[in-house]
Amino acid sequence: MGHEYIPEIAVDREGNEHEVQGWQDDFYGGKLGFWLFMLTEVMMFGGMFLALAYYNTLHPQDFVIASSTLNRWLGGTNTVILLVSALTMGLGLLKMRSGDVKGAKVMIILTIILALAFLGIKAVEWTAEYNHGVFLGLDALQAGNEHSKPFGQILFFGMYFTMTGLHGFHIIIGIGLMIWLLKRINAGKVSPEHHILHFNIALYWDIVHLIWVFVFPYFYMIGAGDVAGGAHGH
Amino acid sequence: MDTNTVNYHEEKGTYYKVLVGLLLLTAVTFIQPHLFMTGSTFLAQMLIAVVKAWLILMYYMHLKGEKLIGAMVIFSLALVLVFFIIVIGVDVANFQFGAESHITAPAAH
Repeated sequence: MGHEYIPEIAVDREGNEHEVQGWQDDFYGGKLGFWLFMLTEVMMFGGMFLALAYYNTLHPQDFVIASSTLNRWLGGTNTVILLVSALTMGLGLLKMRSGDVKGAKVMIILTIILALAFLGIKAVEWTAEYNHGVFLGLDALQAGNEHSKPFGQILFFGMYFTMTGLHGFHIIIGIGLMIWLLKRINAGKVSPEHHILHFNIALYWDIVHLIWVFVFPYFYMIGAGDVAGGAHGH
Repeated sequence: MDTNTVNYHEEKGTYYKVLVGLLLLTAVTFIQPHLFMTGSTFLAQMLIAVVKAWLILMYYMHLKGEKLIGAMVIFSLALVLVFFIIVIGVDVANFQFGAESHITAPAAH
């Protein structure tokens, strides 16, 4: 008593009852759930963009000057890398859905390589900024000492390191997810017939790309026109 | 949408077309400050970003034809926009604590 198996019953549009065997094949449900998660990502980064816009309204000139000191070529290269990685991820999913599992794995590996390249360039960029004394915790970004940058620039760089850092963290998570996906494909758990995991990880990669589409112009490009220099970095 | 049977060679064309569009828009991002709307770079950059985002959402994220998920996206964006208007448009315009605020006070330079 109490442990008796009670089947769950689902009713179709015609009113016929069916015993539910499992939800694993609920493709639309899996997709919808993942979209709900992604909307929380939009809210999180959206909140950060609100803070950024708020600081921008308080210190517009400082934001333009600070933006002009960022290395647009490295940022632009990373933009193109992410763009191409979104293509390889999409083509990988297409290959999976069309039955070419080996081709799908090649595309996922290519995406991982591009993601690592993105992180490498980011590391070069942050290292250069650290060497120029612009990094979280260094004097230039602390108010009230002789090396302090103007306060609006401190806010700009604080948001820059926070948001590009959080975005970079998402890239690292994405690489982990893709490695996991490869393991699941090798284990036969993801296949052309059951590819919701692949579909959702591709969606995740697209939202990481989508966030960068706004991060890049806001930080790197708003100072491109008004202030001379900047195109060659610091 | 049939999710299981697709013809790779028929559908990959869309992916490449979107890639070309995104690459062109990225190029526009770079030349915009020297070419057009030079007085309002911020606005121009955000408009280009919105077009890029639309292409990614519709084609790479398969939102084309997805009415329910599309409505969810619009709703969450609208929610962010409402807060944007309240925070930026109303609150900042009537900011009362400039003298004692940590984000405005040291900016007297």
